[in-house]
Amino acid sequence: MFTLFFMDLGRKVISFMYFVGGLTNLAVQTLYFTFKPPYKSGRIIEQAKKAGYDSFPIVSLVALFIGFIFALQTAYFMQRIGSELYIASLVALSIVRELGPVITALIVAGRVGASNTAELGSMQVTEQIDALETLAENPVKYLVVPRFIALGIMLPILTLYANIIGILGSYFICTIKLGITSSMYMHVTFTSLLYKDLFTGLFKSWIFGMLIALISCYEGFNVEGGAVGVGKATTRAVVFTFIMIIAADCFFTALFYFIFP
Amino acid sequence: MIFGKTKLEMKVGIFVFIGMVILVIFILSIGGFKTWSSGYHINLNFNFVNGIKVGAPVRFAGVDVGEVKRIKLEFVPQESRSNVKLDVWIRNIIKIPSDSSVWVNTLGLLGEKYIEIMPGIDYSHSLKHGDCLVGVDPLPIHQIFNNAESILRNLNDGIIKIRNKEGTLGKLIYDDAIYNELQALVTDVRKNPWKLLIRTKEKK
Repeated sequence: MFTLFFMDLGRKVISFMYFVGGLTNLAVQTLYFTFKPPYKSGRIIEQAKKAGYDSFPIVSLVALFIGFIFALQTAYFMQRIGSELYIASLVALSIVRELGPVITALIVAGRVGASNTAELGSMQVTEQIDALETLAENPVKYLVVPRFIALGIMLPILTLYANIIGILGSYFICTIKLGITSSMYMHVTFTSLLYKDLFTGLFKSWIFGMLIALISCYEGFNVEGGAVGVGKATTRAVVFTFIMIIAADCFFTALFYFIFP
Repeated sequence: MIFGKTKLEMKVGIFVFIGMVILVIFILSIGGFKTWSSGYHINLNFNFVNGIKVGAPVRFAGVDVGEVKRIKLEFVPQESRSNVKLDVWIRNIIKIPSDSSVWVNTLGLLGEKYIEIMPGIDYSHSLKHGDCLVGVDPLPIHQIFNNAESILRNLNDGIIKIRNKEGTLGKLIYDDAIYNELQALVTDVRKNPWKLLIRTKEKK
């Protein structure tokens, strides 16, 4: 019983080490091919549209609702202690520092990461990736690098959109329902924000974008056994990306809190 | 290869462009637009600034007109004392008379520190770029506490004397002789009101 449990645990640890090693290998190769000409700008643009432009509606919708909800939930307590005005600074800080980057990354991981894995996985199953190699085209260069660059650039931009739309959502609630004047709201919002808050948020979302691209492509390359394998790999990719995003978020939040206060 | 011809590129272009616009809006709003408006610098000299920080607001007649840009502590050998030199940025349209008084003020009891400029009357000589103004030193908080403590001690001495039934006040409060006398007088007058009407014979 116990031996089985520990054997299972050991197998999991070893497979996790394989995962980390493979991911590192893919990351190194991706970085190498990112800076090595020729650059495939057409494919980058294609992926940029998929990651950025097409994700914009859902990201903005979610950000708007997050703004509404956050304003109302903080108002519940702030009204009791009579400081409704500070809802503005609280909402601005939490959206710009934390919620904007993380919510955007989670949505994009679910939307774009899953589609990356499914796409690459079915290519692997139908041996199109091997075909690429016979055509002397490196699959990492052709498939991973465009997604890596596109997500790395598009996710911070999407985060900017999410920030402004989230603040706008809370602005509507505060000015219409809670009776805070519009200029007062804007003043409190922007005096409480610092450059540091904005740029740590954008830095985090850049890291998240690269993580999403790498993990989803890694899982796509590692598909085995037909359609069922593609489904399994997609699930694994989304779950691993979520875990890695939250872990990286925790790490960077602690880093910015303790080392660069 | 030709760039900038496809619909795809246009869509990505719109997306990135609006993103950049939002970034610029954020950066400008966070920094405050005043960094881009023009102004001039003046120097304020203090002996003690009570912990003012770079970026603290400067108020002229109670209105925010600028901020503290730099704080320099220098030693004046002639007078053998340290001098705090504040480099203060003021918006261009604000004219500060040279006989204005300047001090460090606090928002609330323990709130944020800021520079208060009370306008003078001599508008014919307003401050120009690089001019100097000597500030009125704020009372250090420990000095206020010291003064308050000595006042309290004196008060306490008085109260102890009263408690010990010393002095006029002590006797007035603790000794009921006057009370008894007064009561006797009132009862007497009540009983014999005519006594009030009688003029006592004046002795000659």
